Amino acid sequence: MADLYPSIAQCAVVATAFKVLLFPAYKSTDFEVHRNWLAITHSLPVQEWYYEKTSEWTLDYPPFFAYFEWILSCFAKFADPRMLRVYELEFDSWQTIYFQRASVIATELVLVYALYLFVQTAPPAFKRPSHAAALSILLSPGLLIIDHIHFQYNGFLYGVLILSLVLARKKSTTLASGLLFAALLCLKHIYLYLAPAYFVFLLRSYCLGSKSIFHIKFLNTLKLGTGVIAVFAAAFGPFALWGQIPQLLSRLFPFSRGLCHAYWAPNVWAMYSFTDRVMIYVAPRLGLQVNQEAINSVTRGLVGDTSFAVLPEITASTTFALTLFFQIIPLIKLFFDPTWDTFIGSVTLCGYASFLFGWHVHEKAILLVIIPFSLIALKDRRYLGAFRPLAVAGHVSLFPLLFTAAEFPIKTVYTIFWLVLFLLAFDRLAPASNKSRVFLLDRFSLWYIAVSIPLIVYCSLLHGIIWGKRLEFLPLMFMSSYSAVGVVGSWIGFLVVFFTS
Amino acid sequence: MAGPSPSPHKPRRKVKKSSNGSEVSSPSASGRQSSSHPAYPLAAFLWPARSSVSQWEILPLILMAVGLFRWAAGLWGYSGFQNPPMHGDYEAQRHWMEITTQLPVSQWYFHDLEWWGLDYPPLTAYHSWFLGKVGGLVDSSWFALHTSRGLDDPTLKIFMRATVIVSEYLIYIPAAVIFVRRLTRLQGINSWNASIALTAILMQPGTILIDHVHFQYNTVMLGLVLASMSSVLAGRYMWSCVFFVLALGFKQMALYYAPAVFAYLLGVCIFPRINLPRFLGIAVVTLASFAVLLLPLFLGALYDAYRGIEARPETFGRHAPLPIFTEYSYLVNYQAWYFPIIQQLAQMVHRVFPFARGLFEDKVANFWCALNVVIKLRQYPSELLQQASLLATLAVISPACLVIFLKPRKELLPLALSTTAWGFFLFSFQVHEKSVLLPLMPMTVLLASNHGLSKSVRAWIGFANLLGVWTIFPLLQRVDLRIPYYVLSLLWAYLLGLPPTSFAIYKQDGHPTWSGFATTSLHTMFYAMMVGWHFGEAFIDPPQGKPDLWVVINVGVGAVGFGICYLWCLWNLVAESGIVNFSKSEKKKAKSQ
Repeated sequence: MADLYPSIAQCAVVATAFKVLLFPAYKSTDFEVHRNWLAITHSLPVQEWYYEKTSEWTLDYPPFFAYFEWILSCFAKFADPRMLRVYELEFDSWQTIYFQRASVIATELVLVYALYLFVQTAPPAFKRPSHAAALSILLSPGLLIIDHIHFQYNGFLYGVLILSLVLARKKSTTLASGLLFAALLCLKHIYLYLAPAYFVFLLRSYCLGSKSIFHIKFLNTLKLGTGVIAVFAAAFGPFALWGQIPQLLSRLFPFSRGLCHAYWAPNVWAMYSFTDRVMIYVAPRLGLQVNQEAINSVTRGLVGDTSFAVLPEITASTTFALTLFFQIIPLIKLFFDPTWDTFIGSVTLCGYASFLFGWHVHEKAILLVIIPFSLIALKDRRYLGAFRPLAVAGHVSLFPLLFTAAEFPIKTVYTIFWLVLFLLAFDRLAPASNKSRVFLLDRFSLWYIAVSIPLIVYCSLLHGIIWGKRLEFLPLMFMSSYSAVGVVGSWIGFLVVFFTS
Repeated sequence: MAGPSPSPHKPRRKVKKSSNGSEVSSPSASGRQSSSHPAYPLAAFLWPARSSVSQWEILPLILMAVGLFRWAAGLWGYSGFQNPPMHGDYEAQRHWMEITTQLPVSQWYFHDLEWWGLDYPPLTAYHSWFLGKVGGLVDSSWFALHTSRGLDDPTLKIFMRATVIVSEYLIYIPAAVIFVRRLTRLQGINSWNASIALTAILMQPGTILIDHVHFQYNTVMLGLVLASMSSVLAGRYMWSCVFFVLALGFKQMALYYAPAVFAYLLGVCIFPRINLPRFLGIAVVTLASFAVLLLPLFLGALYDAYRGIEARPETFGRHAPLPIFTEYSYLVNYQAWYFPIIQQLAQMVHRVFPFARGLFEDKVANFWCALNVVIKLRQYPSELLQQASLLATLAVISPACLVIFLKPRKELLPLALSTTAWGFFLFSFQVHEKSVLLPLMPMTVLLASNHGLSKSVRAWIGFANLLGVWTIFPLLQRVDLRIPYYVLSLLWAYLLGLPPTSFAIYKQDGHPTWSGFATTSLHTMFYAMMVGWHFGEAFIDPPQGKPDLWVVINVGVGAVGFGICYLWCLWNLVAESGIVNFSKSEKKKAKSQ
């Protein structure tokens, strides 16, 4: 422990200073979303929380997050009571900004604690790599961009996730890990994507015997079952009593949205859309049918239905089937080998599958992959090889979230700073693998990282100079296709590593 | 930038497990007591770079990190934002870009002097001209004549902030990097400590708050002075003259350093033996630099005269007397071809050195302003005050100049510069609170000198810097910049392990000394006053009839503290020069020559 410097606390202090300086930075509509939720939870009775629709940003997170907002609102009234009025739309006095931004920083302490615990519980030989990984998560440009500029509470939520993952390390705290994850699901339902891995892991390592899968530990099963039911009852029980569950579910799962989000998340569907765009020009020569209505739909970049001009339409059920299929593959391995490392690997792969094949995936969801992966990226050099393109692609794909000129230097310089610092550090810290490495993957990641620089330069500077306001979708499409290649490449690489180790 | 390793197959560094559990630290870790753990957070941040990390890996990271803090600080408001009628320094700089790009050269120093008339030397004008041209390409309305006054376009703000950063990264930061590298090599300090010192210097809260938040281009001038000092370290005296003249040409404040620089350069021409070629070289290069600096202004004036453009169109062809040496104006031939040059020179000097103004303008933590609390100075004639100010300044700067003249050793230069700059700041005429950056800069770069990171030196440099930003707090809080002030100054204090974040710096190892005890009690008293003042200022309204109470207290405490900093610099200068034989002056003198 002697030389784990800088410590997590020291990094947290300096990062906090930087985040406070970012108070006046650009904030997205998510700021107003959360302000509105503060107002709803503070000024309305619980029965009306999921019915209130004065603002278009209705409450669409599960009940625990609403309770969380209610707790925050108890402090908010000391900062500026006006922010707690439902009808004060778009209210953003300085006190409101200070309060909301500060609440993000304060609740991120959960993440700091979880990372501290992660390093504490690491085996002695892995203390140093774990420490580096912990710092990389704490200082993640993803969290900085999404939470401290764009505005959300991911630091807190991922803190809970990491806490739960860390608790799964020890037999004695596995139950707590499961219950904490259940609570996390009641905070934000996006974590449902990771639930299959939890289900299999808890089933195999907590409910079934370690020797034989036919030896069922009934007491453990009972504890876990009642615990999870209790957590969900605490969250949804009151709403079930009032018969509001259908309304609540319609808020949580708005299926009316399209396949791709406004800025295409770098997943398989982005590549699919890109191919479709290219096909528009190629198809007539091949004699294929082109759907004229669709030609202008994606390019506008509006939230809504994406339709394809040449390639077949994708339905929600297709995406779910694909997601589930690619989630089940790693879970088979997890079932037969329920170690912590495999568990984290499966969580990562579940994240990958949902991000790559999911319906209406937001680019922010890439954290669902990066953060669990960071925990095991330093296991050996092969893991690191798969992690590298993800680190580049995942963070670069977040750039379009911030489009204002003042934040441009922050997002780019901070991300480059983080990539240089941590990729160099990881390179030094990751131990050699005893398996042979996949030759192509190494070359791929090197080329891949090299390409990112001219691409960023083109998309952020040259495009505007050459084309002005025209063809605005082009940089977005390039970025998202490029990032998609990286994410898919790292996914394939990690699949190989996962199944061969 | 991939690592320079030959084989990517193996980890480059295994987890070290030495028998006693503590890492073997790099050799010659000067200024650090314990090698097994970092003494303060900044050392902890660079801890992984302690050994075997190339400078080329760590330097870009440092520069990116300090750049991020600068840009983030720049997101806050600037002086005079939406604050008519006069706005502030931001508007002054913007306005100079407007007049230099829109008006003929001969009118730059004459145009509408009531609205932020140009009152900096010509290099600032050229700098403004260049930035104005670039900005005009982006949006021509930013610098349109007359109509752009008080403009608060958010994109313009980004452009202006970017110009400060770019200017700093082209001048101050390279100068600081090279200076630190030369000084540490000269004194045999390892590169790890050099990186710590560099980061500490670049995170100095005062420069960030004044330049990147409040808005000015001080780092250009400070960077040129630093480049001048750095040339001295490399033994390039003529380059140092060029840089110093440029610094003077950018901001006349650089005169605070001039006596020490002059004394030093004269010293190296005389000691150890008289070196006439060097003297002549220095003299010629200095004069030539001044000539080159003024040449564009003069040529522009001559060209305008040739084209028939009046420097002062409002006089309708009548000749106004010269603003300086007015009583001798009759000697000047207004028709001569060289008259525009004389006119420009006189006007420039008149604008740059406003002797007509009072002893001090605003509340500033120097001797006169503090004295004014006790004795109302306005009752005395201004000539008397000017003479008193001149004599006092000469008296306080002469010891330092004498020392550096007699012992012209390059490693003494930062101390000599900060001593004279403190002298000027405390006693000279027309001092602005932002000028505290001038003594602070050479004092802060001492962090890169021998023992610069030791507890005692760090404590003093930290004290001066924190006191310095504390005295500019009234300036910042007037434009709602409390938060960046608290964040940046506390962050710096935290990084260097200074109060109020940590008192470990005053824990003496080994036997306690009287000077250590005196430092501790003195600093503790001042820190207590500063913290107390902040609480008082925040929560207690000043009594009726004394609306400036808090500012006055700030000025008084600040002046005393700065006086102590002056004495500390002078004491160290004298002690390190070895001119007076103290009991045990340092034995190992770096072989510099």
